[in-house]
Amino acid sequence: MSRSLAARYAAGDLRKNAGVDVALAVVLVLSAFLMATGAMVVERVFGSIDRLFEQAKPPHFLQMHVGEYDRAALESFAAEHPEIDAWVVEEMIGFDGAAVAWQRPGTQEAGDLADSLVDNLFVTQNAELDFLLDESGAVPRPSEGEVYVPVAYQQRFDLRVGDELEVTTDDGAVPLRVEGFVRDSQMASSLSPATRFLVSEADHAALEAGGGGAPEIIAEYRVTHQADLGGLQRAYQADPALPKNGEEVTYPMIRLINALSDGLVAVALMFASGVLVAIALLNLRFVIRGALEDEVREIGAMKAIGIRDAEISGLYLAKYRVMTALACVVGGGLAVAATTLLTRRMEVSYAAAPWELTTVLVPLGALALVYVVVVAICRGILRAVRKVEVVDALVHGSILGERQTARRARRQARRLRRGGLAAGRTGKVDVRLALADLRSDAGQWALVPVVFLLATLLVVLPTSLLNTLESPRFLTNMGMPRSDVLADLRFTDDVDGLRDDVLSDMAGDDRLTDVRAFAEVLYESPSEDGWATLRVDVGDHAGTIELLDGELPAAGQVALSTLNAQKFGVGPGDELTLRQDGATTTAVVSGVYQDITSGGDTAKMPATTPVADVTGAAGYAIHASTAPGADPAAVAAEYAERYPDAAVVPTEEYTRQTMATMTGALRNAAAASLAFGVGVALLITSLFLKLRLTRERRTRGILSAVGFSRREIVAQVRAKTLAAAALGTALGLLVAATAGELVVGGVMASANLGLARLDLVPDPWLVYLAYPLLLVSAAGLAAVALTARLRRADTSAWLRS
Amino acid sequence: MSHDTVLEARDLTKTFSSTDPPTRVLDGIDLTVREGEFLVVMGASGSGKSTLLYTVSGMDRPSGGTVTLRGRDLTALGDAETSRVRLHETGFVFQEAYFLRNLTVRDNVLLPALKAVPKEKAAAVARVDALLERFGIAHVAHHGITQVSGGQLQRASICRALACEPSVVFADEPTGALNSSMSAEVMDALTHVHAGGTTVVMVTHDPGCAARADRVVYLRDGGVVDTRVLGTWSPERAGAREDELLLWLRKLGF
Ligand SMILES: Nc1ncnc2c1ncn2[C@@H]1O[C@H](COP(=O)(O)OP(=O)(O)O)[C@@H](O)[C@H]1O
Ligand SMILES: [Mg+2]
Repeated sequence: MSRSLAARYAAGDLRKNAGVDVALAVVLVLSAFLMATGAMVVERVFGSIDRLFEQAKPPHFLQMHVGEYDRAALESFAAEHPEIDAWVVEEMIGFDGAAVAWQRPGTQEAGDLADSLVDNLFVTQNAELDFLLDESGAVPRPSEGEVYVPVAYQQRFDLRVGDELEVTTDDGAVPLRVEGFVRDSQMASSLSPATRFLVSEADHAALEAGGGGAPEIIAEYRVTHQADLGGLQRAYQADPALPKNGEEVTYPMIRLINALSDGLVAVALMFASGVLVAIALLNLRFVIRGALEDEVREIGAMKAIGIRDAEISGLYLAKYRVMTALACVVGGGLAVAATTLLTRRMEVSYAAAPWELTTVLVPLGALALVYVVVVAICRGILRAVRKVEVVDALVHGSILGERQTARRARRQARRLRRGGLAAGRTGKVDVRLALADLRSDAGQWALVPVVFLLATLLVVLPTSLLNTLESPRFLTNMGMPRSDVLADLRFTDDVDGLRDDVLSDMAGDDRLTDVRAFAEVLYESPSEDGWATLRVDVGDHAGTIELLDGELPAAGQVALSTLNAQKFGVGPGDELTLRQDGATTTAVVSGVYQDITSGGDTAKMPATTPVADVTGAAGYAIHASTAPGADPAAVAAEYAERYPDAAVVPTEEYTRQTMATMTGALRNAAAASLAFGVGVALLITSLFLKLRLTRERRTRGILSAVGFSRREIVAQVRAKTLAAAALGTALGLLVAATAGELVVGGVMASANLGLARLDLVPDPWLVYLAYPLLLVSAAGLAAVALTARLRRADTSAWLRS
Repeated sequence: MSHDTVLEARDLTKTFSSTDPPTRVLDGIDLTVREGEFLVVMGASGSGKSTLLYTVSGMDRPSGGTVTLRGRDLTALGDAETSRVRLHETGFVFQEAYFLRNLTVRDNVLLPALKAVPKEKAAAVARVDALLERFGIAHVAHHGITQVSGGQLQRASICRALACEPSVVFADEPTGALNSSMSAEVMDALTHVHAGGTTVVMVTHDPGCAARADRVVYLRDGGVVDTRVLGTWSPERAGAREDELLLWLRKLGF
């Protein structure tokens, strides 16, 4: 059959079904758009991080430390290891947010950073590695009196170049002027919230001399060949003279945390596009089957005059091919714009990724996939053409063959016998009629609940993931005890004395209940690479962690985080050798739990003596709950003031800020998913009703003729739509609560972040009230809009169609 | 309006504005139907017979003029009231079998009955079953609508029109799609309805069917051009009435 005939057919058909085709095209465009955007964001994220890493040269291995350290030992360690490409000991001075004030010259605008619980570390620019970069990717070197502020603060406190910053030391204020903003490639990677400010040597010295800040160092190393990293780390840990009382962070973790925040966005987008593609396909099925049913006599006639099946389905396929191709082009164009917007934020935190071949190929591949899948499915649906029997088509107007018709008639007869209009006790005729229609046309109506199920997943899961990451329960799942106030005692000469003071003070404070102390003791254990540090939290862990496997440790036992279990190659029941100060003991591994705090390398042991009697611990964590009515933030602030050497924070806010680097972008993705979900629900309901109402004209005419009012007829359509949408939404919530957790957890676990299982913590108001209402309202809106015109039609016009 | 008038149309017009230019199908029709009368409307195809039936029965809204059914002006009623008129006051039999495909024959007939008196379901069911019995389709009551003959369907259609005991039954070419034996079945049924005291207004092309009427009006170009009174029907005089009618129709150019 000629190409021009197909074109003319498609054009005529398009004119006939303009509304339906537009809606279908929109869904296809959205699918293509999201698919391409997801692919592009993933590509950009990794490109951007690569670029940042190239420019910033983050360390391959770093060790934090507070207090005295042996500079000479570090020098000789570096001299003995030629595999080291560059190294540095970065000296940092930490100040509370409250000690950093800002004001805008010539205006009344001023404030401080007290809202931030993040450590504000003042540093000078490094010479060889771990550079802080400005917006252009250059390495700024501030002169005296200038400061470069972290980009995160630029956004959060709306700081601008030219603002004045004042750091309060014991000796008075050190005035600085904001000269620019810097990006930090490694600071977020320990998931301990800290951020770096860049100042000149002179100001750094002034801040140090002024007192009131908390000095700490990071020893940072880059190796020439990544293969040497393990050996170097091992050697560092094995050398007792080197400083190492803080966290140790390695390159993979640095990379991962950087990738994760925007990676989550990419995952959310890919998920959204997957859902949309599914919805688009369901619609295609609905629309194509509808078209076949409407035009069955024409199809029968074409067959009767000897046109081949393939040519007939080719007529239909041509249209959907063109439509899908156009959708891919338009969606791809939109995706370029959207990606530019989405990644702008990312490029502020990281660096503009250079455009490469993959930048173009990846989204093109995604679009090609959409095209191929959609066309293949269309082909599949159009196979129904082959089954059309000329006689059935021409005589009965049925796309079903004789045998199928008979089967359907039997089924229908059974159904008719079962539910009669007069059967049962009560119930309005209208309701029974609506139910009868839902039952007999379940195949078509099913589209609505299925789409709403998918849309529900689309709006609910990203929001739930976001809420989970921000919830205090998340850190409990992740290895941190749940509490309202957390005091971290670590970097002071007499840490045991400080512990005693804080504990006795807290015990006497009736605003605090359930005060629990954990000691952090450093052991060494044999790993594949030799002896490695094992950081063990000692205390009563009942109720503080959720084990993936095994049990809480009893005396003589130890529980390990998943990353540590991997690192030391042990599981529940195995024995682990522990070495401390040259003496070795063994402990049986009792269980494994997930943990992303402290770089994911933690272990838990029960206290053999009260924590208050422990000596020689590297630090202590004291958790307390607040009594009803007490404000955790106020209590924490008060303790922080009383004990300058202790870091005391309200746990929930701290969690939120710790995760903020990761969740900021996810928040945007969740908002976008919500918009897409509701938009698609609206669109599909409209499309469905448009088609459905066209086919139901005759039925409406009959109902009207026998005495139903327009209002009653419209009300039936609306009620059926709402019921179908509500059913789908309810099912969606059910699936989200069960399978959704598996899916999201699986994705997170595959990121190998020490996260093996994720219990979603949905916000009940949003997930079980606001979002379902929004979705069902979308269905209601579509139903109202599409049925509004029905009020005016003549009965005979419906009947004659 | 005299006391035995059940339906009266005055200066009735209907214009379809969906066409370009708009089509004026009814052009100032005056029509009066007496209580208990059997009126037949005839005319060439496209002369506006169906349109007339729809506009006087409360299904479609006329563009101008008034329709008075048992003293009430239908053109002044709202959606809900008009639907109540269709439910309680009028019944309609179409040329095509307009039935809901997902209901049985009986449920289709029950639909208006249950709608009219939701509280007295048992009475409605009893009345409908009696109707099905009376019109000889009780044995197919529980069949799907694709499983019965055209004549049976039209009889079911009549049952549905009678389900709420209307004062007027309208029939738009009820035999148009049937062969002659089925046609006779349906006409017997309608004559039966009329004999029971119900007013019947019917459109037909078939002079044989039209011969059953008390009175025949002829439509041309949207107006009534002539009327023929035949008097009360009796089977014995069927042939004579039909001949008389044919003569009249031929004069009108039918
Ligand atoms: N909904 C409509 N829109 C436009 N024209 C219509 C409509 N319904 C009927 N007509 C036109 O009105 C005229 C009369 O139709 P109809 O009443 O069905 O005639 P009859 O029943 O006498 O054959 C015809 O020309 C028909 O095309
Ligand atoms: Mg007609």
